[in-house]
Amino acid sequence: MSKAVRRTSLFEPRRYGELAPASKIAVYGLLALWSTVVLFPLYWVAITSFKLPIDVAYPPKYLPFIDYQPSLHAWRYIFVDLGNDTFRPYMNSVIVAPLSTLLALIIGSMAAYALSRIQYRPSLGSVVTFILLLAGVVLAVALAGIDWRIATLVAFVLFFFLLRALGSRFRRRLGNGDILFWIISQRILPPVVAAIPVYVMFQKLHMLDTHAALIATYATVNLPIVVWLMYDFFVAVPKDLEESAQLDGASRFRIFIGIVLPLAKPGLIATGLLVLILAWNEYLLALFLSTAKAQTIPLLVAAQNATRGPQWWYMSVLIIIMIAPVLVITITLQKYIAKGLLLGAVKG
Amino acid sequence: MTVELDRISKAFGPLTVLHELSLSVTPGEFMVLLGPSGCGKTTALRMIAGLESVTSGSISIDGRDVTDVAPKNRDIAMVFQSYALYPHMSVAENIAYPLKIRKLPRAEIDKQVRDVAAQVQLDALLGRFPRQLSGGQRQRVALARASVRRPAAFLMDEPLSNLDAKLRGHMRAELKHMHHQLGIATIYVTHDQIEAMTLGHRVAVLNQGRLQQIDTPHRIYDDPANIFVAGFVGSPPMNFVPGGLAEGRFKAAGGSLPVASRESRENVLLGLRPEDCRVAAASAPDCLAGTIYSIELIGDHVLVTCQLAGTAIVIKAEKTFSGEIGAAVGVQAAPGRCYLFDQQSGTRLR
Amino acid sequence: MKRMLSLWLDRQSDRLFILPSVLMILAFSIFPLLISAYLALSRFQLGIGGYQLHFVGFANFAKLLFGTEQYHFLGVFAPIPWLGWLLLALLAGLLGASLVRYLRGGPAGIAGLIGRAILMTLILALALLLAATLAAGGQLGSLSVTLLYVILGVSAQFVCGLALAMLCSQRIAGRGFFRVVFFLPLMVTPVGIAYMFRMLADMTQGPLAPLWRLFGLGDLSWASQAWSARLVVMVGDSWQWIPFIFIVMLAALEGQSQDQVEAASLDGASYWQIFRGVTWPEIAPVAATVVLIRVIEAFKIIDLPNVLTNGGPGIATESLTLHSFINWRTLDLGGSAAVAYMLLFVSTVFCSSFFNFIMQPLRSARA
Repeated sequence: MSKAVRRTSLFEPRRYGELAPASKIAVYGLLALWSTVVLFPLYWVAITSFKLPIDVAYPPKYLPFIDYQPSLHAWRYIFVDLGNDTFRPYMNSVIVAPLSTLLALIIGSMAAYALSRIQYRPSLGSVVTFILLLAGVVLAVALAGIDWRIATLVAFVLFFFLLRALGSRFRRRLGNGDILFWIISQRILPPVVAAIPVYVMFQKLHMLDTHAALIATYATVNLPIVVWLMYDFFVAVPKDLEESAQLDGASRFRIFIGIVLPLAKPGLIATGLLVLILAWNEYLLALFLSTAKAQTIPLLVAAQNATRGPQWWYMSVLIIIMIAPVLVITITLQKYIAKGLLLGAVKG
Repeated sequence: MTVELDRISKAFGPLTVLHELSLSVTPGEFMVLLGPSGCGKTTALRMIAGLESVTSGSISIDGRDVTDVAPKNRDIAMVFQSYALYPHMSVAENIAYPLKIRKLPRAEIDKQVRDVAAQVQLDALLGRFPRQLSGGQRQRVALARASVRRPAAFLMDEPLSNLDAKLRGHMRAELKHMHHQLGIATIYVTHDQIEAMTLGHRVAVLNQGRLQQIDTPHRIYDDPANIFVAGFVGSPPMNFVPGGLAEGRFKAAGGSLPVASRESRENVLLGLRPEDCRVAAASAPDCLAGTIYSIELIGDHVLVTCQLAGTAIVIKAEKTFSGEIGAAVGVQAAPGRCYLFDQQSGTRLR
Repeated sequence: MKRMLSLWLDRQSDRLFILPSVLMILAFSIFPLLISAYLALSRFQLGIGGYQLHFVGFANFAKLLFGTEQYHFLGVFAPIPWLGWLLLALLAGLLGASLVRYLRGGPAGIAGLIGRAILMTLILALALLLAATLAAGGQLGSLSVTLLYVILGVSAQFVCGLALAMLCSQRIAGRGFFRVVFFLPLMVTPVGIAYMFRMLADMTQGPLAPLWRLFGLGDLSWASQAWSARLVVMVGDSWQWIPFIFIVMLAALEGQSQDQVEAASLDGASYWQIFRGVTWPEIAPVAATVVLIRVIEAFKIIDLPNVLTNGGPGIATESLTLHSFINWRTLDLGGSAAVAYMLLFVSTVFCSSFFNFIMQPLRSARA
């Protein structure tokens, strides 16, 4: 038996599970390349925010202090000269994004918990009846000009009596899976389909351009995500604790708040962060529902296009203050957010 | 084909999990690596497979040094604890996979798969998927997949531990039969001493990364090298009583027993196998005094636990044994069946 | 009194848990959907003292598909070259074969048959549309552009994301660093990304300007060319979404059981053989899920084309959502709702078919 001679081939891995030296170089090369693709745009925005207008012209200047002398003029302009025009949208986003997240999280996790524990068996017939009556109300208001309050009232009374009369006839029943699928599938719905009617609704309620309108709609579009992710989480939470609390005489609300939510905290954090970022970045609904008072930060940034043209130094400052909170959250809480993304997806 | 380990060690950073293990498996031999969890036995197996690198030492298979050879070029097959069946492939495809990798002709593959499947009684299940099989059937698929390409050696990592007790007994017999038929050198890792005793030609007992003893099952049981082997092998395990040696007798708090040793020293442990002890009257000569703590009927015998001064002793008694809990008794043992160990080092005193 | 209330609440708790969600979705999704359906069937007119809605039936849809808005929604058709016909015939053949296989495979349900019929008709129609608008002399409408974003964009993102995940799942030092870095773009506000890429793609002043000059392209503007504008939109979208696919596929790769990989490598399989034979079947369900999520979101794209190019040049980068939004801004509410409904129809058929015909079989194969 010969003594082991360690081979040093360029194309053979030294040990199992490791890469051959040649492939290792290739892998690091590709990873470095992609890191550049990711980081360079961010770097470019950062240095542009410190450039004077003359520094933006050709040839491009890549290195502050060497290629050009950094200046704070753009920052001063955005923060001091514009002042409130910058801060108001910023504050709007700071209010709307967390509150809508909280709302979606509360309502969504209640539904997700209920769907993971309680058997619902709504009959298909009554659901169809309800939708038909709702469509009837729309038609009655739109075509015949009937007052919407009267139409809604009539529809509800009708629904009640129809259910009484026909309720026992409806055999086909839906299950929790159907309800879950229905809620999650709402995410497929392009917001633009609902945006105009929602705009009209808030107009009727005199709630256009308010925080409340944005909070309610943001919470609704993000609700499917919360239900989807939290459902998987609640299914994984063992039932023993809840059952023992039930035997101790606690009500469902108490069990939910006192036992289930604390157990599901990691999932809540992960889901909450994800939804928070989605709400912070939202653009389309804000475009429809807010004009001045409730304008959010993405709108402010997008609007620069029209008013200021490509004044990249100001744009860069705005982009930085818009994405800074999200980037900070991402880098510090990266694990949680990744977990939020994975909760649903990896299980399939 | 032989498998030779020459002083192989494995360290994960500062932690050494395997210390200079040397082992030689002869052609057709069934070698069992036995030890508690964390003793390094699975690491040793994975090093032979090439799935873990070797920190120092060398491994050779059939005379060829494979220490730095990639797993796929070592010509060995492994059966995993989880069976590692490919869930998306049918039984036939699972078994055929190693041959397909080797690009054998289609007809040849089919023939070999059918042969192997017949050997482990899987003929009727070839079209099924792993999820449609029972634990024992999956186990057989794993065995068939490992044996279909006639490797130089088999490695098995606790292959029976996921089965229930009854099936485990059955599969043990099948494994033994299969090994007899194929005659391929096998290295088998387990923490279950019954599997080790029944399956192995030789058993290597490991603890904390060190080889304790390597011998036939008989001698491992009858002639343990140290206190660890003595205590690990046997069910119920060997009893240990602390005491001293003087004038050919073992003296403990509750009395003394005649032993074969002429030595005279303190801090000795007396090892007694449950079947080598006898419950006698409290007044009998050459016995250790104690009281009955519990009596358990097992079926063909009764286990009596006796409380001696500070230690408990389990004794295997006839099923006709009758006694009262709390009754004062004496424990006797044949002088030839007493094992003596040094209390500090745990080595056997002969 | 308080006790009575709490008792009642407890008895009703089953309903109260789920009611808020259902009410919210009814109020802000289903009800608006119904109104939108009505809007799509009517014409909106501003008049004295407010506005009026006239019921016009399917006129809005007819306008999109055959009328004055056809160029905007479907595009401008050109004669399909023989290569296009060949590809179309190939696609039709494939679809027919899959239908035959379905019918032979066992008792065919009515629902399954109808679903497949709708899907295949839609696929063929859209393929025909793409062929006719992509041909020389044709012009893409917002529907074709959206499909392009979905099909080309998501495929490119999936390939890149999976490749990065495979690189990062190797045992190499510094994986944690790359993971965080690669993850970042996902969280950047799309509006910000749009401006960022406008800056980067600026061919006269941007960081790559010297390179463009070298190739003699310095005076060109990407925003004035239809295809370069679309490319920039897709690159921006990919920059944001590759991380999503990356992070999920990485988790799937790391989550797969190591035993099977080890067993295969003992059996002599190479890295690629293991990937194709063992790893890919294992992670395919996750891949399908992640693609579905991406497709759902890609259909809704608006921020990037709106800010990057304002839909231009002309309508070259206009997505369906942007098309609908532009109609709304010009007070063509009916047309806007009609476009939105077409989008809803296409994306629902696509997503539900993907779920039924690709994801479900993959999942049940593993269960």
